[in-house]
Amino acid sequence: MFNRGFWVIVKREVKRFMFLYKQTLLPSVISSGLYIIVFGAAMGSRIGEIKGVEYIHFIIPGLVMMSVINPAYQNSSSSIMQAKFLRFIEDILITPLSGLEISLSYIIGGTVRGVVNGAFVLLLGYFLTGFQVGNWLLTFVYLSTVAWAFAGAGVIVGIYAKSWDSIMVITNFFFMPLIFLGGVFYSIEMLPEFWRNFSMVNPLYWMINGLRYATLGIADTSHELSLGISIIFAIFFSTLASFMFSKGYRIKT
Amino acid sequence: MKPALEVKNLRKVYEGGLEALKGINLSIPQGSFYGLLGPNGAGKTTTIGIITGLVNITGGSASVLGFDSVTEFRQARKLIGLSPQELNFDVFFSIGELLELQAGYYGYSHKEAKERTTIMLEQFGLTEKRKSRARELSGGMKRRVQIAKALVHDPKIVILDEPTAGVDIELRHMLWNYLRKINEEGKTILLTTHYIEEAEQLCETISIINDGKIIATDSPNKLTQAHGMSGLEITLTSKVADLTLDPWAYNNIDGKIHVNMNHPEKEMANVINQILKQGGEIENVQIYRSSLEDVFLKLTGKSLHEENEKFESQEALLNV
Repeated sequence: MFNRGFWVIVKREVKRFMFLYKQTLLPSVISSGLYIIVFGAAMGSRIGEIKGVEYIHFIIPGLVMMSVINPAYQNSSSSIMQAKFLRFIEDILITPLSGLEISLSYIIGGTVRGVVNGAFVLLLGYFLTGFQVGNWLLTFVYLSTVAWAFAGAGVIVGIYAKSWDSIMVITNFFFMPLIFLGGVFYSIEMLPEFWRNFSMVNPLYWMINGLRYATLGIADTSHELSLGISIIFAIFFSTLASFMFSKGYRIKT
Repeated sequence: MKPALEVKNLRKVYEGGLEALKGINLSIPQGSFYGLLGPNGAGKTTTIGIITGLVNITGGSASVLGFDSVTEFRQARKLIGLSPQELNFDVFFSIGELLELQAGYYGYSHKEAKERTTIMLEQFGLTEKRKSRARELSGGMKRRVQIAKALVHDPKIVILDEPTAGVDIELRHMLWNYLRKINEEGKTILLTTHYIEEAEQLCETISIINDGKIIATDSPNKLTQAHGMSGLEITLTSKVADLTLDPWAYNNIDGKIHVNMNHPEKEMANVINQILKQGGEIENVQIYRSSLEDVFLKLTGKSLHEENEKFESQEALLNV
């Protein structure tokens, strides 16, 4: 289990996104930079502080999560979709690696991309706003757990999808609304009760809340619950992805 | 000695109910050069897919040197190299990187993978192309890379699905020589092909598969003897009245006598003597023998020529 062949797929996944850095690394840095400038600098002075933290700093954990979730998901989903479409996934399916190993190697590849993207945005936050990370270890745990969960979701969609559209549908119709409604730009305490309750069932809210606790030391709700939810999603998606790979669902005939 | 590949009562029913394999049996000895011949849709690629793990099994079993392809897939797959019919390249990497990755998937270290890649590129005349991408290569070169990919981890058994489809004659002969060489060095080769000449030239044993069933298995010679027709064609200078050729019946076609028999080379003298005794004068004698292609047509009701034409026209379309 998890022998050299497994790590070669991980290496392949990382090399792939490094090679495509203009599509895989730069866009989230640029869009996060724009969010920081437009929302933080332009609007921040009018909003003031939230929970004793400058608004510009308050939004950074949400922007980091945005830069973790989408790239982690897109990495594994696009990579698998492309390998399926051009049939070079067969080169991997015929090797002595199990479905579990193959799916985990794709998940790790996506996780690395998610964490690297998140780290870039943290760095950008530091240079543009002086943002400081309170707890590096917990921050890393959040970045990697959430990236793992969404890389797992990417594997599932990559296996399931029959066209590129399906992959973008998930990003545009599910992840983006959930991220924006997950309290990136506001504290849920600022919302009316109905929307506050609505936010509580959004898993992305908990993930952002947890990272905000890890970096800034503030949270709307329990940080332990945030960590628990992130871990449950990571386990759920990666288990389902591995199960699908092992069964050869839509990959083997 | 365990067979290199063994398939027992193998069945495959695809989603939607298509029964691609209806319980086939194959036993491919170690070191052999084995051909699987059949029309499109006969079940060749499905059989290969099950052995290599690309197709889920419905019933029966497949094993590789005694290792079950499902329960002992790690040992089984390590022993096999597959060159699929359709070219499939990882588009992000150069030819050299592709081969290194492929060796790596099978557990080779970075250094070993590089060395194996160098050997493969040399053997296939692709050393200069190490840094090129597959899309920059000609069709023939792509096919060479495809076969190199199957061999880079030095498997004991090589499965080649239509290895010479769409390549020019020169490269086809080069590949044949290469395959003969690695077979002599000990590799077991399972080949599927549309080119009858390829099967006749290379394979010691051929199984003809049709409609999900193996309908004949033997050496190309024995297949033609058992299922084909052979005999003598004799041209006489003048007609002989009431000619009898004991114990054979004959046909007179366009003034030529056709006598069907299993061993025309052995019986030739006997037939000639009988004709001469009855006052006949012989102008010419020829042995005729059915080709493997005739046997294929007889057994499957389908011509490989049609298959070739269909296949080549598909390729032509793809090249547009």
